[in-house]
Amino acid sequence: MSTVVKNQLRVCLLSVKYNIMRAMVNRVAFLMNILFMILNNASFIIQWLILLGLKPEIGGYTLREIMLFWGLAASSYGLANIFFARAFSLPNLIISGKLDSFLVQPKSVLLSVITSATASSAIGDFLYGLAIICAFCFSVQRLLLFLLFAVTGAVIITAFAVLMGSLSFWFVKAEVFGSNMVNSTINFSTYPDGIFDGAARFLLYQVIPVGMAIYRPVHVMISFDLTELLMVLGYAVLLSAAAAFLFYRGLRRYSSSNLMEARI
Amino acid sequence: MRKYMVVYRSVVMEHLQYGAQIAVGFISYFIIIFIQIYLWNYMYGESGALIAGYTKQQMIWYVMITEIIWFGTRTTTVTKQAAGDIKNGNIAYMINKPYHYALYILTKYTGEWSIRLPIYAALAGCMGMLMVGGLSGFRPAALIAALPVMILGVTINGVFKLSISLISFWTEDSNPFQWLYDKLLLVIGTIFPLEVFPVPLQPLFKMTPIYTVCYGPAKLLVDFSREKYIEILLAQALYLACGLGVLFLLYNRGVKKLYVNGG
Repeated sequence: MSTVVKNQLRVCLLSVKYNIMRAMVNRVAFLMNILFMILNNASFIIQWLILLGLKPEIGGYTLREIMLFWGLAASSYGLANIFFARAFSLPNLIISGKLDSFLVQPKSVLLSVITSATASSAIGDFLYGLAIICAFCFSVQRLLLFLLFAVTGAVIITAFAVLMGSLSFWFVKAEVFGSNMVNSTINFSTYPDGIFDGAARFLLYQVIPVGMAIYRPVHVMISFDLTELLMVLGYAVLLSAAAAFLFYRGLRRYSSSNLMEARI
Repeated sequence: MRKYMVVYRSVVMEHLQYGAQIAVGFISYFIIIFIQIYLWNYMYGESGALIAGYTKQQMIWYVMITEIIWFGTRTTTVTKQAAGDIKNGNIAYMINKPYHYALYILTKYTGEWSIRLPIYAALAGCMGMLMVGGLSGFRPAALIAALPVMILGVTINGVFKLSISLISFWTEDSNPFQWLYDKLLLVIGTIFPLEVFPVPLQPLFKMTPIYTVCYGPAKLLVDFSREKYIEILLAQALYLACGLGVLFLLYNRGVKKLYVNGG
């Protein structure tokens, strides 16, 4: 069992390695993508400086904590797009019948699909998150927690993208709905949860997984709580299992477009 | 001119088929405005005080209008398609057609937003009336007067985005430059009106495209004044002329660099 898992992980890492090597063929474009993504994310600091100039605390958080939300969201999204970028374009593969080349591989179809692309700009997202935690609220314990939660956040965001993307096995028009839902996770994650109440709070913790991917982890980083940490880990495992279940259920309905394609 | 009208008509006809799909894309807009309503409700609290001269309703409507422009014009024609044509060499097959490539792309872009923008505006109007309520002191005449400003604003936006895509002639990937332009518009022009920024920075921001693309149309709709109207129209005319100058300059220089692989 452990050999199977080890082999699968090796294949995934090799896939990501070759994706990055492919992106690095044009080094200038590769580095520009990373650098400009960091600048792109940093521009939002202006937004928060302006808002905090109007009110010293927003939703009970100061700039330091708000930057934690931003940093964790950027790094989680970055990791998800470094390792599992194809999860975000899954509907396109399903609708246009481009899964054939993955079906004949002797490894997990789902992992082969989602690790088959890497967004080079996502490296900028991940680095930006790390820079934020180091600049605004560095401590060794917080950095370790940050790295752990960046991984759980990436897993949760990817699993949610797979769940939404798998709907395309049943409904062709689910593509737009799914991508909107995934984008909403990213939109909500960059605003502190303290400004939301009532139905919105319920939505963020129970429907869109932003509560478990970003909000709860930030609470743990601000004030450590083992129960909340275990809840986040458990949620990441459960959501991944649900995503894999739905994907393989949907895969039974998949029909090829007889597209001749070679993956190099 | 007639050939561009034919292109425009065919794009409009094509996009009319996808009206329902465009409307589903409204979910993203809804979510962003939903967040902004919560944010500004929190910022204003119960006091009802003004922020930078704006009431809570004016502030939320301002954000809603700028986001309509943002979402209504978010087509990939002036960005991904134009940059992709240059990157994969497809442009070689298009520059020998009986139209100017840059004008063809702009016409296509105009056809797309002609469908998207009214759909978003109608849905956003309903959403605003239900969630925020009507704007006090709003005159329908302001809406009619602001229409040309809105059209000029989205055209200037398209011209600038296409100019950025033309950088692909030199750098291959122009996406990073698009991100920076988008974020400039989003952070400085969409989320807040210019008056929220520190006074010394305001003249500087007035010289950026933000003033003509986002701020101008939204400001006129939430707080119309004749002086502002003339000032914004003049700024837009200047910006459009400069933008088109830059666009044609980049295009004429870029096509000379075009290198086509056989195949």
